Amino acid sequence: MTPSKYFLGASIAIAMLVPVFLPAQTKSWTQPKTPWGDPDIQGVWPGTAMVGTPLERDKSLGTRAFLTEDEFAKRAERAKTQAAIDNEETVSDLTRCDPGRGGLGNTPTTCKNGISIGPPLYWDDRGKPSKQASLVMDPPDGRIPPLTPEAQKMAAERIAARRARPCAATAGGCHDTWEDESLWDRCITRGTVGSIVPNTYNQGNQILQTPGYVVLRNEMIHESRIIPVAAPNNAGRPHVPPAIRTWLGDSRGHWEGNTLVVETTNFLDKTVIGQTPASEDLKLVEKFARVSADTMNYSVTIEDPKTWTKPWTISFPLKSEPDYVLYEYACHEGNYYMYNALSGARAEEKKAARNGR
Amino acid sequence: MRTKILIGVAFASLFGAAVPVWAHHSFAAEFDINKPVKLEGTVTSMEWINPHSWIHLDVKGPDGKTANWMVEGGSPNILLRRGFTKKSLEPGTVIVVDGFQAKNGEYRANGSNITFPDGKRLFLGGSNPNELPQATK
Amino acid sequence: MICQRGFAALGLFWALTAAGQTPAPKAPRTPNLNGIWEALGTANWDLQDHAAQAGPFWQTGAIGAEPAGLGVVVGGEIPYLPAAAAKKKENFANRAKNDPEAKCYLPGIPRATYLPYPFQIVQSPKDILMVYEFASANRLINMGKPIEAGADSWMGTSNGHWEGNTLVVDVTGLNGLSWFDRAGDFASDSLHVVERFTRVDADHITYEATIEDPKTFSKPWKISLPLYKRVEKNAQLLEFKCVPFSEELLYGQFKKQ
Repeated sequence: MTPSKYFLGASIAIAMLVPVFLPAQTKSWTQPKTPWGDPDIQGVWPGTAMVGTPLERDKSLGTRAFLTEDEFAKRAERAKTQAAIDNEETVSDLTRCDPGRGGLGNTPTTCKNGISIGPPLYWDDRGKPSKQASLVMDPPDGRIPPLTPEAQKMAAERIAARRARPCAATAGGCHDTWEDESLWDRCITRGTVGSIVPNTYNQGNQILQTPGYVVLRNEMIHESRIIPVAAPNNAGRPHVPPAIRTWLGDSRGHWEGNTLVVETTNFLDKTVIGQTPASEDLKLVEKFARVSADTMNYSVTIEDPKTWTKPWTISFPLKSEPDYVLYEYACHEGNYYMYNALSGARAEEKKAARNGR
Repeated sequence: MRTKILIGVAFASLFGAAVPVWAHHSFAAEFDINKPVKLEGTVTSMEWINPHSWIHLDVKGPDGKTANWMVEGGSPNILLRRGFTKKSLEPGTVIVVDGFQAKNGEYRANGSNITFPDGKRLFLGGSNPNELPQATK
Repeated sequence: MICQRGFAALGLFWALTAAGQTPAPKAPRTPNLNGIWEALGTANWDLQDHAAQAGPFWQTGAIGAEPAGLGVVVGGEIPYLPAAAAKKKENFANRAKNDPEAKCYLPGIPRATYLPYPFQIVQSPKDILMVYEFASANRLINMGKPIEAGADSWMGTSNGHWEGNTLVVDVTGLNGLSWFDRAGDFASDSLHVVERFTRVDADHITYEATIEDPKTFSKPWKISLPLYKRVEKNAQLLEFKCVPFSEELLYGQFKKQ
């Protein structure tokens, strides 16, 4: 029928005009629904495909969000080389420490004589190369906006306070108490954003639904974020009162068409995004939009007017991997690091005292 | 030297960082870069725990005495997804470890390279080079 | 036309089950365990009958003392083997330092069920997820073809199926490091637990667990207790990430003095 031909032509033309950040919905696929009529976004959606994509875009790319074929080919070649190195049966000298080939880099504290100070380097999820130039997609230059003057001042004060401590000058840094360790090393949490943004390993994400709720499970660190979802044309339940503050915040969801929109507030004032501490005014708005059987577009807009001068957005596609199993990540229970780091620092202090320093 | 590292970082940021965005924890806090070790010993057990697995092995020293070492591996979740299980490293297996000893002086080390005596890596099975690299749609 | 009615009926079924009512079945009916649940009583202090007594920390006065409680063990006593009975006594004597709950370790099964914190059952069309407020513990109950644990874990590997109105969960792959209660009751990594969740009315689930471990007990034994629905409007799990509360206990001796 002629009308549909025009429609097809028109939709292709429109698709080519609109700058597409994320994969567009394929024509032949229809969004399935759960038995109670909500869009069905259930499944296992690990972030494996995006491992290796940097958080911020290289400045040389400017507002170009995707790599050219040549640039992508280089990235792909690098991944192929890395995979080959990972699969080497015996260890070649070239693989040790060389940052260009997966090593931690030959710095005085991480590598000596070709041996690195971490675990075996192939014990990682390398992911697959993607054409996306960065995980940050807004601002258009793919770089995190500047800190507010207030946040800059606090950062400077933190650095100064750290430098004032004698332990800061030692090779290992300060390990006086567990509070000198990151939230990650303390096995508290990777944070709401950190739990889903791809990292070196265990990128498992799983979504389950039941009437009134969507639950997002993250493998790291065994999080299960229960998101109450408002019924259609309903305001949904309010956030918890301001006195209740948590590490992962308080999430509330609603559907906009087939997209799940989740607003999260009520954070403690101790959360960290990337390397930057956020304030308790932090607000996240996430969108989960399934565009095909095996692709879900994910984005999170990070808004904290006390910390960043404007909101910024991370977005990337998640790919379904039904055979990916999320295993338990009991971090705190196996945290030998804490014991090793603290007792190691105490041993070094004793040694320094013996040597009369 | 510094320039080299900067170039390496720039390269990494454009084409994809091999080192993660939010870093591994600081192994340099646990282990001493000035105390390299090379251990050859018999596996007694393996702790399949996170954030890092630990392989326990008996190592006979030059003095003939046996020391019980523990060596840090990576997250077991990765091994499980590759098809290795808790049965995959039998007690009694001989392994060779290159790493650095713990700062606290105990018989602990990281396992930068963990191999069998013939040099073959333990728990091989990284990403399949033949599965790469298609553009993600 | 028939198709549309069928979908409408299915939609109605889910809408009604969401409200907690029992619909007239038009399709094979799966019981609905969705909701926020919590155990009352003192099973987490001690699974067996216990009198009121001082707790491990006199500094907290009556707040930290142990209330009396009727045991939840069917038949009264846990049938320890002699060596295990001695180990239990040792656990009890050292409970202030060694209770994994104090360390904010994942509680394992069955203890996660009767901790004094709520948990939410999320029953999706395929698998069932249980999310516990304590330490952000959670476990997925696989309702498909049973899977085997590749390695032991704190919360074990759970395979479930329906027997009439009862959810039966078979738990293996537990690592033997968690306790059953604050009294030091424990098992080895050969522990095998079979749980039964039966929703007996809108606000109650009867929870039973059969415990089997030939390395620790002379025979299998069973616990039984009710679970109560958290019926407050807008009831929700809050967060109890207790790692920061346990650091002094775990690492205090290693901090700089």
